[in-house]
Amino acid sequence: MKRLLRPIWAVLSSRAVSPVVIGLFLLIYIGIAFFTDEALTTLIGFTSHSVFLAGLFALLPLNCACRLAAEISLHLGRRRALAGNAAAVSPELFDETVSLPASGSDAEVPHPAPDFAGLEGRLGAAGYRTHRTAGALSAWRGFSAFPARIVYLTATFCLLAGILISLTSRLSLRSPVVEGEPLPSFAGDRVVEKIALRESGGMFLSRTLTMEVAPSGAGEGRRVFGLYPPALQSGFFVYPRYLGIGLVVRFSAPDMPAGFEKPCVLNIYPPGKEEAVEIPGSPYRIVLSLADPGDGTDPYISGRMAFLFKVMKDTEVVFTGKAAAGGEVAHDGYRIAFPDARRLAITDFIRDFGVPLIWGALLMLVVAAAIRLPTRLFLPRREMLFMDDAGSVRAFSRAEGRFRDHGGVFHEALDLLEGQVSYPVKVDAEGNQRHEAQ
Amino acid sequence: MLAVKLLPYLAAWVAMVLVLLRTFSGNRPVTAAAGIVGFAGGVAGTQALFHASSAELAIGVVKSSVGVGFLLLWGVSVAAIYRSTGRNMPAWGKRFAHTRLFAGIVALAAGLLMGGVTACRVAGADAGAMACLLAALAAGVLAGAVLAVEKRLPQAFTVSPAGLTAAVVALLLFGSSSIIRLDLFAPLTMKVMKFAHDFVHQFFESMLIPDHLFFSTGTWHYIGLLFGKGVGFWGALIIWFIPVILILLAISVERLPAVAHIRQGAARRKMVAAAVRSRRLRLLVPAASALVLAAAVYRSTFPTVEYWDPKPLAVVATPNGEIFIPKKGEIDLEDGKLHKFLYKQGGKQARFMVLMTTGGKLTVVLDACAICKPDGYGQTEGSVVCYYCKTLIPLETVGKPGGCNPVPLPFAEKADGVHLDAITLVNTWDTTVQTTTRIKEDGK
Repeated sequence: MKRLLRPIWAVLSSRAVSPVVIGLFLLIYIGIAFFTDEALTTLIGFTSHSVFLAGLFALLPLNCACRLAAEISLHLGRRRALAGNAAAVSPELFDETVSLPASGSDAEVPHPAPDFAGLEGRLGAAGYRTHRTAGALSAWRGFSAFPARIVYLTATFCLLAGILISLTSRLSLRSPVVEGEPLPSFAGDRVVEKIALRESGGMFLSRTLTMEVAPSGAGEGRRVFGLYPPALQSGFFVYPRYLGIGLVVRFSAPDMPAGFEKPCVLNIYPPGKEEAVEIPGSPYRIVLSLADPGDGTDPYISGRMAFLFKVMKDTEVVFTGKAAAGGEVAHDGYRIAFPDARRLAITDFIRDFGVPLIWGALLMLVVAAAIRLPTRLFLPRREMLFMDDAGSVRAFSRAEGRFRDHGGVFHEALDLLEGQVSYPVKVDAEGNQRHEAQ
Repeated sequence: MLAVKLLPYLAAWVAMVLVLLRTFSGNRPVTAAAGIVGFAGGVAGTQALFHASSAELAIGVVKSSVGVGFLLLWGVSVAAIYRSTGRNMPAWGKRFAHTRLFAGIVALAAGLLMGGVTACRVAGADAGAMACLLAALAAGVLAGAVLAVEKRLPQAFTVSPAGLTAAVVALLLFGSSSIIRLDLFAPLTMKVMKFAHDFVHQFFESMLIPDHLFFSTGTWHYIGLLFGKGVGFWGALIIWFIPVILILLAISVERLPAVAHIRQGAARRKMVAAAVRSRRLRLLVPAASALVLAAAVYRSTFPTVEYWDPKPLAVVATPNGEIFIPKKGEIDLEDGKLHKFLYKQGGKQARFMVLMTTGGKLTVVLDACAICKPDGYGQTEGSVVCYYCKTLIPLETVGKPGGCNPVPLPFAEKADGVHLDAITLVNTWDTTVQTTTRIKEDGK
C-alpha cells in the first residue's frame, strides 16, 4: 500500500502540478477564444458543468493542501535536526551536504573529534545563534519564511477551493425588491418597508443604498441591508444590482377604450434611461423614462418622480409627454396615468459558500506578503548543521532566498573542521595523542 | 523592391541559423542541412497553399504555427524558471536532446516556419513563385555562409535550450509582425483587453461588489483604467515579454555549482567565477531575443501600410427620424470605397459607414465593433481593418455581426439611396459600443 501511495503523494504534492493545470486551462481558454469572444464566460460555464474540468481544477487546491502538508513535514524535520534531536538527517532538508574528511582519507585510522566549541564561538562572532549538543552544532540567523509560506499556501488553498465551490455550486436568483412589497419567498417573505438611496462621501462609494426589512412573524427583528459587505438573508447574499421604479401604468386609447393597467418593474434609473412596456394584444408600446428634475436633485433620492413617456403604435409615435407619479395626462383620446410609483432595487440573491473563502484568502495573502517581504529583504534565514559522525563530520547548509550562501562563513567553518579531522591521530611514546600535522 | 521586402526575413534567417548551429554545435552539418530543407519546404508549402486553396488558409496555417511556437516558448520558459530555482523537475529526454535526430527536427521545424513566414511576405504577388524561389536559394547560400563563420565564434559562447527557443520564436514573431495578417501582437492586445474587461466584470459579480452606479467618480476612474486601450497594450506587452524575462531570470538565478567540498579557497573562487562567466554568456541570446521582440512590437504598432479613411460627412435626419443618403450625390456610394458619416442628435453622436461589399450590395455598419474601443476602420485591398486591434475584416463579411466586424445596422436600399432610422442608429451605437463613445475630432 505504501508503495502505491508514495508515487501518488509525490505527484499530488509536486510543485509542477499547479503550473501544468493552469497551463491546460490556458490552452482551453485559447481554444475557446478561437470560436467566441466570450471566452472567459464560456470557460467558466464549461468548468461549472463539466465534471472533468471541475476535477481538473480541483487538483489546484488539492495540490496546495498537499504542499502545505509536505512543507510542514519538511520544516518540522529541519527543526528536529537543528535541535539535535534527529538520529539521521536527510539531505533533502538542506541545500547542500558535505562530508569531512574528504574521500580518500584513511578511514582505518582514528580521527580526533571535531572541536565544535571553538566553531561555536566563531559562528557566534559572525552573527549566528548557535545550539550545541553532544556531537552536533547548529547555527542560524534571520527569520524563517515558513510562517509566511504557510499563510500563503493556506490562502492559496482557500482561494482555489473558494473558486471551485463558487464555480460548481453558486445559485443566483434575480428578483426585484420593491418598497412595501415582501421579499421573494425564498428569501423569507419579509416586507421591505423602505428603500433609501443617499449621497455619501465615502472613499469608494459615492452613494449608499439601504433596504429596511420589517420584523418577521417568527420573531426575527428589523434588518437593514446595505451595499457592502452584502447582507446574508435566509442563506442568500443580498446583492443589489440596478435601481428602478415599480410603476403602475394605466393606459387607454381611442381604439382600446377598455384600457390597460399593469404594475411594471422598470429598469429606468438613472434619469434618461428608457424601457418599453408592451401592451399585449394591441399594437401599442409605451417607452418610459425617469425625467430629470433639472434642479440637480435625484428623483430616486427625493421621491419626487415624473416620467417621460412615448406611446408608439407600431413604429409611429402617437403621444408623448410627461406625467408625475400619481398624475394623469390625456390627448386626442389617449389617456395615460401613473397611479403608483415605488422605488425598487433589482437584486441578486446569491447562495455561494465560496465567497467567504475567497474573502479570507485575499486577507491572508496580504498578511503573507506583509510577513514575507521584510523578512526576505532584511533578515533572510541562514542555517547550518554540523554533526559528528564517528570522527568525521557531516555538514549541512541552507539559505532562503536569492543568495544561497552564508557569505563564506560555511566554507570557513568547513575549512576549520577539515583541519581538525583530516589528520590521523598519532600516539607518542608517552601515550599522548597528537595530530600528524602538528 | 523584392530585395527590400526580403531583407529583414533573410537577416532573421541568418540569426536563426547562427543560434541553431551554436546550440547544436556537435551536429553542425545536419542542423544546417535540415534548416535549409525546412526553409525551402516552408516556402514551397506556403506558396502551394496560396495557389491550391485560399490565401486565408495559407495565412491561417502559418499564423497558427507561429502562435503555437509562442505557446511553446511560454511552456519552456516556465519549465526553465522552475528548474533553475531548484525545483525537482524531471529532466525528460535529456539524452535525446543531444542526438543528431533532435538537432535535425528542431532545425527543420524552425526552417519550415521561417520559410512559411517569408513566403507570406511575397506570395500572392505577381512574381510570387519566382520571389519564393529566390528567397529559398538565398536562404540556402546564407546558411552555408553562417556554417563557415559560426565556427570562429568563441567556444565559451553557448546557447541554452530555452535561449534557442526564445531566439527562434522571437525571430518568427519579428518576421510575422510586418505582415498585418500574420501579426500576433495586435490581436493579442484585443484579446487581453477583452479578458481584462470580462475578468473585472466576473470578479465584481463573484465578490458581490456593487455596480458602478454606487462608486465615487474617483474610484470608477481607476477601475475604468482596466477597460482602456492601455490595458490591452500593456497586458499584451507583459504576455509578449514574460517568457524571455523568465528565461533571463532562470539563467540569472541558476544555482552555482556546490563548492563546499573543495578545501582550497582559490579553487572554490575559480570554479564559481567560471560558472558566473558561463551564465553571463548564456544571457546574451535571450537578451537579444528581447530586443527582437521589442522590434516586432514596434513594427506591429506602427505598420507601414496606408488605408483609405475618408473624413466622416455630417448627416441629418428628417422630422420622422430617417437618415437618407443618396447613391449618387456628393459621393458615389457604389464606387467600391468605404464612406463614413456622422450623425448628431442632441448630445449624442454616432459614426457609421456605407460601402459596397464584394457581392455588389450596399451595406451599412457602425464605424465601430462590439469589442474594441471605437477607433474606427480603414479600407485596404479586399478588407477593412479595425484601427484598434488591427484585425483585418474581409469585405465579403462586412455587414455580418460578430467578432471585430463592424456592427451591422438595419437599413433599406432603394433605387435612390439608403434609408436608415436615426434612433436605431444612436441606440445601436450607445448599446453596442461598450468601451467609450468619445468621438475624436468629429470622427477621425
